[in-house]
Amino acid sequence: MTAPRTVIVTGGSRGLGEGIVQHFLDAGDRVATCARSETDAVRAWQADPAYAERFLFRKADMADREQCTAFFKDVVAEWTSVDVLVNNAGVARDGILALFSDEDSDTVIDLNLKATIHLTKQVVRNMFAHGGGRIVNISSITGLTGYRGLSVYGATKAALDGFTRGLAREVGSRRITVNSIASGYLRTEMSHGLDDGQLNQIIRRTPAGRLGDPEDIARAVSFLVDPANDWITGQVLVIDGGLTA
Amino acid sequence: MNEFEPKIVTIVTELLERSDREDTTVELGATLHGDEGLGLDSLETAELSAILEDEFGTDPFGAGLLPETVADIVAFYADATAASA
Repeated sequence: MTAPRTVIVTGGSRGLGEGIVQHFLDAGDRVATCARSETDAVRAWQADPAYAERFLFRKADMADREQCTAFFKDVVAEWTSVDVLVNNAGVARDGILALFSDEDSDTVIDLNLKATIHLTKQVVRNMFAHGGGRIVNISSITGLTGYRGLSVYGATKAALDGFTRGLAREVGSRRITVNSIASGYLRTEMSHGLDDGQLNQIIRRTPAGRLGDPEDIARAVSFLVDPANDWITGQVLVIDGGLTA
Repeated sequence: MNEFEPKIVTIVTELLERSDREDTTVELGATLHGDEGLGLDSLETAELSAILEDEFGTDPFGAGLLPETVADIVAFYADATAASA
């Protein structure tokens, strides 16, 4: 059995992040996650003796740099090195750009992009000092195809894909891989501003005939961070039930 | 010699070894960059900064300084220790 890896999953208290955290815990890894609020899932992990010493949660708003840095330092104080970073934390605000508030633009950009860059910088430095690692940025097909009403959200996801490619080139020689997963529409997308009519239309147009589940994405994350997969980097892997095929 | 000197020389030596430059002798007066010195490129400099921070909790690059020699790095930690004594 290989030693447990230390994994950071941002925004792991609910939805897709919760599914990714559960996947790594099931695999025997140590998982640190953060979110602005504690959820039933977090309380269950904290109380489960199977995850004792393997689960760390901090209440933190990652868009706040001080809170983001404090979270990272807590993880390193506990487990020294970070082997895997999954940048999952994100927020969507829907609305036509011409009516979009500057505050909503800032909220989306600050969390989805600036916070991701800030945390990744710290993790990359840790990976430099400890022999490498794996980074996965949770992107979205809205960054590839666009979606009416999600232009700012889609812009941050497209930017994440660019960040993935540039950083992959920068750190590839140091045994660090960086990839994006462009997720399709998940059941958890209910919270991202899409109504039932929009979701049913997406289902009709999806070859797989359904919305995605967090586990669909978690399995792809697991593939990209597999220690054996050190020749896959700088890529955007689309997991969307064939919607954009 | 202060306590930081051998540690920092070892860190820089190991950094160069990972870049297949194990033949390079690291001396205090060696400049970090350029063909006349150790020839660290920008990525290696970032790596050195990260390793120093990991080892000592702080590093001169992160503090906004631009050390030019190995001795400058040693002096950064020696000065910090003296200031906190």
